[in-house]
Amino acid sequence: MSELARLDVERRDSLCLIRVHGEVDMSNADELASAMEGAVPNDAARLVVDLSHTIYLDSAGLRVLFVLAARLGARRQEMRLVVPEESPIRSALELTGLATVVPLERHLEDALATS
Amino acid sequence: MEPGAAQDRVIGPSRGAVPSRHAGRRTTVGPGLLTPATKMLLVAVVYYLAARLSLRLALVEENVTPLWPPTGIAVVAFLWFGRGVWPGVALAALLVNLPISTSALPAAATAAGNSLAPLAAAHLLTRVGFRPEIDRLRDAVAIVLAALSSMLISASVGTGALVLSDAIPGSDFGPAWAVWWAGDAMGVLVVAPFLLTLRLLRRGARASWARRWEAVGLFALITVVTLVVVRTELRILFLVLPLVGWAAWRFQQRGAAPAALLVSSMATWAVARDFGPLSEGTLLERMITLQAFNATVAFTSFVFAAVVAERMRAREALERSAGELEDRVRRRTSELSGANEQLACEVAERKETEAMLRERERQLAEAQHVARVGSWEWMIPQNRVTWSDEMYRIHGYGPQQFPLTFEKAVERVVKEDLGRIRRNVEAVVRERRDQDLPDIEYRIVRTDGAVRVLLGRGKFQVGPAGEPLRMVGTVQDVTDTKRAEREHRIAETLQRSLLPDRLPEIPGVLLAARYVPAGSEVQVGGDWYDVVPLPSGQVGLAIGDVAGHGLRAASTMGQLRMALRASALDEDSPATVVHRVHRLLERLDLYEMATLVYVVFDPDTGTIRYANAGHPPPMLIPEDGEARYLEEGLAPPLGAARRPDGYVEAAAVLPAGSTILLYTDGLVERRGVSLREGLDRLKTEAAAAAPDLDSLCDHLLASLVGDEVSDDIALLALRPVPLKGQSLHIRLPAEPHVLGRARQTLRRWLREAGADAQEIHDVVLACGEACANAIQHAYGAREGYVEVHLDMDQGEVRVTVRDSGSWRSTAPPGGGRGMELMRGMMDEVAVERGPEGTVVRMRRKLREGAPV
Repeated sequence: MSELARLDVERRDSLCLIRVHGEVDMSNADELASAMEGAVPNDAARLVVDLSHTIYLDSAGLRVLFVLAARLGARRQEMRLVVPEESPIRSALELTGLATVVPLERHLEDALATS
Repeated sequence: MEPGAAQDRVIGPSRGAVPSRHAGRRTTVGPGLLTPATKMLLVAVVYYLAARLSLRLALVEENVTPLWPPTGIAVVAFLWFGRGVWPGVALAALLVNLPISTSALPAAATAAGNSLAPLAAAHLLTRVGFRPEIDRLRDAVAIVLAALSSMLISASVGTGALVLSDAIPGSDFGPAWAVWWAGDAMGVLVVAPFLLTLRLLRRGARASWARRWEAVGLFALITVVTLVVVRTELRILFLVLPLVGWAAWRFQQRGAAPAALLVSSMATWAVARDFGPLSEGTLLERMITLQAFNATVAFTSFVFAAVVAERMRAREALERSAGELEDRVRRRTSELSGANEQLACEVAERKETEAMLRERERQLAEAQHVARVGSWEWMIPQNRVTWSDEMYRIHGYGPQQFPLTFEKAVERVVKEDLGRIRRNVEAVVRERRDQDLPDIEYRIVRTDGAVRVLLGRGKFQVGPAGEPLRMVGTVQDVTDTKRAEREHRIAETLQRSLLPDRLPEIPGVLLAARYVPAGSEVQVGGDWYDVVPLPSGQVGLAIGDVAGHGLRAASTMGQLRMALRASALDEDSPATVVHRVHRLLERLDLYEMATLVYVVFDPDTGTIRYANAGHPPPMLIPEDGEARYLEEGLAPPLGAARRPDGYVEAAAVLPAGSTILLYTDGLVERRGVSLREGLDRLKTEAAAAAPDLDSLCDHLLASLVGDEVSDDIALLALRPVPLKGQSLHIRLPAEPHVLGRARQTLRRWLREAGADAQEIHDVVLACGEACANAIQHAYGAREGYVEVHLDMDQGEVRVTVRDSGSWRSTAPPGGGRGMELMRGMMDEVAVERGPEGTVVRMRRKLREGAPV
């Protein structure tokens, strides 16, 4: 993984929590994708991607999220994103309609909570 | 002999202008002062006087005298004054004869005869070329014959006149005639030579006193002896002869004639006075004796004198010619010796030249040997090749080992190269004119098996018809040079390839670097530098120095640089990076000692962190104020300590406008100058304010480095410039990995422009998308650049993203959100696509106004 972004993977019961720190652009988007895919076990019910510390996510990163969501959806696995209100990337994510595909929670607890 | 005696007769008129009617006559000798009349008178007077004197010696009736001097006088007068004086002679003769003749007629006849006879004698003498000096035998003989023959006339006429005039009886004709003839003849023979020699006496050379005394003594002796012999009863007249002979021998005519005259006169006088042995017998007998005696004396005297004179002249001529010969010989000898000297000189010169030539030859051979150059000559028609000694040696033979033809000369050339040589030769031969052969490198196999590379040069010469005549040239063994050159080239190439060929463009940061290699005689060195833009947006600077030269140092340097790069991209801490490089050095068993400084500059915070492994300290040059060295963070050089305690790092602030300078020791180390002094000098020179980094570097090199560069020098300088207030211009290679850094710069600029966090993010995202588009679509597989330009205009951020590629139409699957994002983030987006490239222009108004 390049220095731009860092992944923290945490397993909580049937949850998989991935924290993305740093920036995601076309130079590391593919890496991010394979890392995230590799980190989600088949038996995990839900994947929570915490973008609280992601300061940059462009269309390449978005694509990754979209694709991942689609893949997980096909496997009947849930995916949730955590993007705080004050996060600068929120507007971009909302703009692209990601929210329609993946829930954009404002707080981690919300994403972790079973609905 | 007088000097004039050997001259030829004077021919033609003498000085003194003898009148023209005498012109053409020979032997006109005579004082030009006397007029003809005077001469006649003189002759007449002398003749008369002499005649009167002589008559006293008469034997026959006072008419006939045994010695008649007037004939001699007349002959001499004719010889001296010419025939024109005959009236004087005739007159005088007449006057003489008149008293003693019976009548005028016989007197006249006698006179006529007495005039005619001398005239005839003179004429005869002149005809035969008689010389008055009587210094030749022929002259002596001539005068004798002339006298004897011409006096026949006078004797006959005179005696005839006497008989006819009854002065004497006819029976006495014979004796009278004999006496007359003898007397007249003797008159000539005795008197004429004497008179002629009087002239000689006048012109004679000064005789020495001894000679004079000799002459005097001799004549005295002659006188005495003659007196004795003519008066004594003994018949010893002949005793006079030796003395006369002596006179003739010693004094030639000048002695002989007077002596003869003296003796004859005395003898004649003796006869006339009836003395001595000449007084007995009949008149005829006495006459015969007397005449015989006189004749003998005359002969002895002047004939002998003439012979002696002639012999003397001959000897003189011989001596003269001998003298001339000697002169000539001497001259010739000196000429010869001169020529000989010259020859000797030339020979010496020739020897010197030869010696010089030989010396030159030796020097040439030596020079050839030292330079490993051999010379060759190929006489083409004869197919004869001549090699210099060195040429043989180059091929591995002994000098002049064997004679050569072309084939033998190229025997050892490697086959492939031989083809080239032959083609070159054929090419020039075809052109049929004088020209230089192209230089050719070819290989030979020496006799010891070594392959050597030779450089051949040559000239080709043709004869008058363009036929090949001669080739001449040199060959140099360049094997070692080529090897060295090759090695040097490799090292140079390696080093050059290991140094960054250009510095990265990092917005907001000025960079400058210099690399000055040492002089080309020194091999390439181990100095290096590098600028590593880090993903975090920070900038890594490194400079190092590997000990040693040549390929080894260059390759170590390359590995160090790569190691540093790799570590720098992974590690944030300079100390750690340096440590990792050191570990690599250890692990690779590279034992070279190397120094290294590694600096990390954070554009956001304006600080630097650095670690120094044994290298000269980096220098911080503030915008104002004194430069100082960053002397912390110090550790031993790489590879020096086996287990260093650990590399340390230190930090410093690098405000915008100040400069950090890294350099190698070539800049500050000089022979004879301590390192401290060099560092002080560097500090001094750095204080000279330079407007930009390039002029700073140039100034430092110019002032600190002289002409001779004995060690490599590397310089690296970095200066942060404030972005605030200026437009930002970034030029990025169209590659994904540059995006992170670019975003850092954009963020900084936007921050300084007064944008808030959201605005910063939005603008950066829009730019990022535009750049990503360009990277993805513009260039395909080619290299290219993306230019990003940010401007602030009245609170509005204006962005221009430009590429010079051609836009590919295919959009990536699932992509295409870029445009959506750009439009969402910016107030306005405009895309211009063209064959020259694509330009994306975007604008976003910031909430707050543009700060100053």
